Amino acid sequence: MAASMVATSSNPVVSPRLAGPGFEEERKRAENDIGRLTFRLAAQPRDLSDRVRLLYRMFHRASLTGRMAQLEEVEKELDTALREFGPKEDLCLLQANLDFRFHRLHEVRRHLASAPMLSSRVEGRVLLADLDMQEGRYELARAGFEELIAQHATWDHLARLAHWHSKLGDFSEADRLYAEAEDDLTAKQMLSYAWLEVQRGLLAFNRGNYTGAWSHYLRAESAYPGHWYTAEHIAELLAAEERFDEALEMLREVVERTEKPELQQALGEMYICAGRENLAQVWLESALTSYLESVRRGDVHYFHHLADYYAGPGAEPAEALQWARRDIELRSNFSTQTTLAWALFLTHQTEEALEQMRLALSSGVRDAIVFSTAADLFEAAGDSSSSRRYASVALEINPMHRRFRMHH
Amino acid sequence: MADHNDPNAVNHIFSDIDYSPADLYDLFGWPVEDGKKVVLALTFASAPSAGALDPDLLYRLLLTSHPRMAWPQNGDVSLESVLAYFDAVKEKYLGELKTAEIRVTVRSSGSALVKFIGFPGGDLSSELDVNKVTSITARDGQTIQAFIGGRDDAFFNDLTGFFRSINYAPQFYHVPHTMTEARELPVPKTLLELEGNDMFNYREDMPNWGYTQPDGTTPKLDLPPGPWTWNGDRFKKDAQGNFRFVYSGRDCRAGQNCNAIVFEIPHSFITPDTQHNRLVNAWGESWVLKAAKKVESIPDEPLWLKDPAKAILEKDVDPELQKYKLVDTDGQPFADAALSEREDDRQAGANNFWLGPHFIKRLAHLGWGFGPSISALGLQCSFDHGNSPVSVYRTYDHVIAAFPKVARTLFQKLNMPDNSWNPKGLNIPLRRPFEIFVPNVCAVDMDTNGTWPFGRRLEDQVATRFLSLFLDMEAEWKGGKYHVDLLGDPALWESAPILPKTPPNPLKNDKEFLDSFPYLAEPWPQAW
Repeated sequence: MAASMVATSSNPVVSPRLAGPGFEEERKRAENDIGRLTFRLAAQPRDLSDRVRLLYRMFHRASLTGRMAQLEEVEKELDTALREFGPKEDLCLLQANLDFRFHRLHEVRRHLASAPMLSSRVEGRVLLADLDMQEGRYELARAGFEELIAQHATWDHLARLAHWHSKLGDFSEADRLYAEAEDDLTAKQMLSYAWLEVQRGLLAFNRGNYTGAWSHYLRAESAYPGHWYTAEHIAELLAAEERFDEALEMLREVVERTEKPELQQALGEMYICAGRENLAQVWLESALTSYLESVRRGDVHYFHHLADYYAGPGAEPAEALQWARRDIELRSNFSTQTTLAWALFLTHQTEEALEQMRLALSSGVRDAIVFSTAADLFEAAGDSSSSRRYASVALEINPMHRRFRMHH
Repeated sequence: MADHNDPNAVNHIFSDIDYSPADLYDLFGWPVEDGKKVVLALTFASAPSAGALDPDLLYRLLLTSHPRMAWPQNGDVSLESVLAYFDAVKEKYLGELKTAEIRVTVRSSGSALVKFIGFPGGDLSSELDVNKVTSITARDGQTIQAFIGGRDDAFFNDLTGFFRSINYAPQFYHVPHTMTEARELPVPKTLLELEGNDMFNYREDMPNWGYTQPDGTTPKLDLPPGPWTWNGDRFKKDAQGNFRFVYSGRDCRAGQNCNAIVFEIPHSFITPDTQHNRLVNAWGESWVLKAAKKVESIPDEPLWLKDPAKAILEKDVDPELQKYKLVDTDGQPFADAALSEREDDRQAGANNFWLGPHFIKRLAHLGWGFGPSISALGLQCSFDHGNSPVSVYRTYDHVIAAFPKVARTLFQKLNMPDNSWNPKGLNIPLRRPFEIFVPNVCAVDMDTNGTWPFGRRLEDQVATRFLSLFLDMEAEWKGGKYHVDLLGDPALWESAPILPKTPPNPLKNDKEFLDSFPYLAEPWPQAW
């Protein structure tokens, strides 16, 4: 998908050579495996090995397609397996990972603790370090990632530390770590390789280096053709370059494939940026409907998207504030603090907004959007000096930060 | 802004580990044509299918040839001397020995590229059709026979019995991948079932427990809660006083295929001095293309194809190999599976010298399990278990403590069942275990018929021969000295107080081998 679009553009980057099979082949293989295991389990439903294998393949498929309905199906089957077999380590680990995916952070710890040794396993320690990052304990997170790397320098551990550096450390160190992670991968792990290339592309994008972003995104597409995740990021880059026709076509296709409400919102916002507000509404409403349905079911993973929606195209500051407060109760980090600060500002609670903003900044985060938000807040509060300082740093990090971007 | 990063979304730890073409199975090697040529066969997992090779893989067969190294007849039998031996061999391998290499990569679904690198007979490369015997003419006019493709798996072995003997839980239980401590459980290794060892003893109600079925499944049970120890004090016996064998003699690889790289190479192609360099040492490696290199297109340079050794020397590094990641090595049977315990960071191939002390400790640990079993059957044991009436679970932190117990096992000469191994009747010393596993190579003695441990012929039952290391080779049975095939003699088991009355492993392969190259039997009809 992305390859053919780029080939027709005036972008100087050369069309990617496709490395081989990609998304569609892997999706079919996952489906075949699920079919085969389901058939076997029909005769032997109590075979624990096959039940675990099936659950993991279903999780893999859901991660691949990005379809929330498939992830929910995994949860349902996993729940049954836990009731039937008890707190087996691999079941509890999968449950903890799903909790993390759904932002049920307190549940992550509970499920890790369900299997006595799980928290001390490498896989458990990874999740705990991820929790530290999400809950604003940045130095603990870094120490956790570094310790994991010292013992097992696997690509995913390196990628985690790279992400830490991309937000809180040194951008070149982040890119170096991503590259080191890539070197750990073989030709049997092209999905992982492509994902790393997208992270490197995003790093470049967030620095305003669009040429670098193109290089990595196209490499990702070449390595693992047809993945919506790569296409999502290419669409964002196209929109940032104001190539809205191509961007919209690409993002619409991603939305159709994944049905993700956050991408529906992004599509609506892209239409607005493109000056086609009349086409935006249907997507924004669809996104909102899905968010609210999810909340009605008791889910929490769309709180930050709701805050973002109401602070943005939804234009209901009080609602934005409500959702921002609920999200920060789940996890307090520079991202949720910045969102809350902005919502407070929109509801004219400037002092409290500044307090949250200072809290976010105290993390040591180096992000153009955070600094840009800070600049706006300090300006509104009458502190022009601080405002100029943060605006300048924001531009230094990413001269293009005012261009279109998506909430990934 | 992005608020979290989740490589677990794409981390294959949450997917099935695919059946991997990088999984090496065996390396066979034996002389033919009166020692003028050597056959080397490297087998590996038949993925994507038997006869189809994976284009992301690179296989290497590494070879050296050197004189037979003889241990002094009255040589000192001590820890210092064996460690000195390891050092000396290391110096030789990492120092003076020149290693030649046969490198195989897949060009397309029907062809492979074979490169001969570093041979005195001249370097060359050749593109071959897979699944077809091909004659390659070297620069000096010598002919090398080659076959790359699908074959019947030549390994015949009661793998489940072996796993039962070492109490390897994942073969019998659903063990989560996170539970790294639940592999070899802390229960004594044994050849005879232990009274009360219900975690591993044979179950009448589940005769196929732990045996992989034709559909690829293996009947397993749920892992019970720990502790997984054994507190008994005797071997299990039935009412008639028979022990229960942990082995069954079943061929767990019956009806299975492999892919194979087979060469028949003139000895003179490997070394210019065939008269003195009577050993051909070989080991195999599998490498997988790195992800980053799969994306780049790398044109084949003409020099690389025509003269690969020169291409390497001119570049100082091996440009092709830099694109790959080493996955597996193979030399001696059971060196990795039994002695290196499958650890990823112990895939050292021939350069396993640093594992020498570990091997001694590991062999001692196995000896405490297998030794008492052997003695209980009325056989003489090479391992000093102090007349223990039952197998013991004991591990060693220090090689100094382990060595005295295992010294005889390490240093005794391994008797052969007859003289067929030495067709020319030459004064070739019998091999000793310490020199078999370090370095981890298939050491083919060109003056023998290549039967293990003088190489490895297809028909050798190496798993049973490995167990014979624990027999006292000075002892006698029916008027003859113990030897490496004694445990494969059905008559031994007929007279032993044991059930089933069978040698531990099958005596022959499920398919007849071929009389001519490529010697391994044709593959079974199913693709795997």
